[in-house]
Amino acid sequence: MSEKNNSNQKIIVDLKDTSISAISIFKIVAITAAFIAFAVYTPKFTNAYSMMILNISLINFIAALGLSVMLGMGGQLSFAAVSFMGTGAYFVANLTNGRLGVAWEPVPVLVGAVLFSAVFAYICGSILFRLSGTYFTFATIGLVQVTWSVYLNYRPLCGGPDGVSGIPVIRFFGMSPRDYHDWFYVLLIFVLLAGFLVERIRRTRLGRSLASVRDNEIAAQTLGVNIYKTKVIAFTVAGALSGLAGGLYAMHNQFISSDIFTFDMATTYVIMAMLGGVNNTVGVFVGALLVTMLPEWLRPIQRYLKLTYGVGIIFLMIFMPMGLAGLGNMILKKFFRRKKGQKETLLTDEDETGGEV
Amino acid sequence: MDALCKPILRLDGVSKRFGGVVAADSTTFSVFPGRVHGLIGPNGAGKSTLMNLISGIYTPDSGTIYFDERDIGKVPSHDRARMGIGRTFQTPRFLQRSNIRDNLLLGADLGSGYGYAASYFGKKVTGFEAYLERLLAIAGFSFAWEDDISSLPYGQRKLLEIVRSLLSNPRVMLVDEPAAGLNNREIENAMALLDFAAKEKNIGILLIEHSMDMIMNICKDIVVINFGKVIAAGNPAEIQSNEDVIVAYLGRNLDA
Repeated sequence: MSEKNNSNQKIIVDLKDTSISAISIFKIVAITAAFIAFAVYTPKFTNAYSMMILNISLINFIAALGLSVMLGMGGQLSFAAVSFMGTGAYFVANLTNGRLGVAWEPVPVLVGAVLFSAVFAYICGSILFRLSGTYFTFATIGLVQVTWSVYLNYRPLCGGPDGVSGIPVIRFFGMSPRDYHDWFYVLLIFVLLAGFLVERIRRTRLGRSLASVRDNEIAAQTLGVNIYKTKVIAFTVAGALSGLAGGLYAMHNQFISSDIFTFDMATTYVIMAMLGGVNNTVGVFVGALLVTMLPEWLRPIQRYLKLTYGVGIIFLMIFMPMGLAGLGNMILKKFFRRKKGQKETLLTDEDETGGEV
Repeated sequence: MDALCKPILRLDGVSKRFGGVVAADSTTFSVFPGRVHGLIGPNGAGKSTLMNLISGIYTPDSGTIYFDERDIGKVPSHDRARMGIGRTFQTPRFLQRSNIRDNLLLGADLGSGYGYAASYFGKKVTGFEAYLERLLAIAGFSFAWEDDISSLPYGQRKLLEIVRSLLSNPRVMLVDEPAAGLNNREIENAMALLDFAAKEKNIGILLIEHSMDMIMNICKDIVVINFGKVIAAGNPAEIQSNEDVIVAYLGRNLDA
């Protein structure tokens, strides 16, 4: 009963935040290298049209990242990404192109769009999270339909079916991207920013609380996690990311209409997140890239595009429920097995008789 | 019970029914800081129900629960945890998809009291590594920080749940069957942890356990319930010789 002297016990490896295992080092090096290669080499082999699609995929990544926070970290399936992309996009469009009599500086307006989308998401989240689980998911479908019909029909702010055109491109200190290649680098900055901000969530209390909401609500409660509040905050963060994506989209394409804020697009974002690995930032990046580029690559079999797509998704869910990132992690763990073997020998010298109860 | 010491947790006539089943029938008892209180009774007597009532997972039909002399009937579960009601479960509840670090940090997060924003903008839980090492020395095992929670054997997971609760600096701990499924050595370690919690941290502990060895060893006070009713309360010696308790556990002799 007294405190025992466990001299034979190996004391915990290293409890500092800086402790990084071999797998993590490998991952960080590989991801950084791949990203630099991607940033440096892709523009060299890409024409203007493909560059535009690639840029859209970067924007889609930012929106899908919001879904990764909701679904990957918090386990809440939401289709509402397009709703908040819409608020961000129309916010930017209306306040920069002069149709309401104002043509403000793009960057502050973009910041405003993010905040506006976040506030809107906070209000929607506060209402929708009165429901839980599947009911919540269905309610987000409702939200998407509502916002879509507003974007389609409300002329004063959304231009009706014609959409809003003539949106100026982004401008930093008087400098604007001249073509899609320039845009690529601008968007990469936002991609990195969003990626790091979201990764930071994972490492702090919000991320852990979200994980507890996802995995074990009862444990979450007894560890002081306010489930409702945590979900609403995640929804707000996702809304802010979607708003950023929407604002960037508006500035990049210089034209927006309700076509891109449909339920069909909403499902596409879910697929991006699922394909890559919903709880993995790099996975979501790859997912956004693949899903956006896929229709281009499959152009030769365009007639069977939707069929291929649908069958592909079914197979994905059967064989890779954790997406590409899950597959990658599994392979990595196989390579780094050695460490685990050591630990097993450590445990076997104890009596594992199972107890008498 | 000394009069100087105020109870940290007090149940006053708490009742709860599920349909026709009376899971708690005007239950009244107190938990004092720095003491281990045993809560025993046959299977289905309503022990876990009481814990769920105290931690706010159920709301009582009638009666009042006082924490630190404050009625917590309307306080939601997560706020009760923040006030200092920690608990562990019969089967340990961890985040299966997170590693050990994140699981333990959840406890430390609660203890730190930092909000999401404070944590996001760099407030770190300080001093908890040293405390954790101390707790693990008592718990008698160690692990790699990044390991999955599922890599630990069952017994160690149960001990780790007590450790996690301690990391949150509770004032009361509700411990549900810590010895079930543990080997002898792990049971000793569990008792050492609870002893540490009560003596060094002055935590009031309510312990549900079927292992009478454990109960009689570390509990100063024991409450026995059956069919939701408190049938006996007192020190181990009193309980062992109590007629009602013997009947509840072994049944009545028909000849008597």
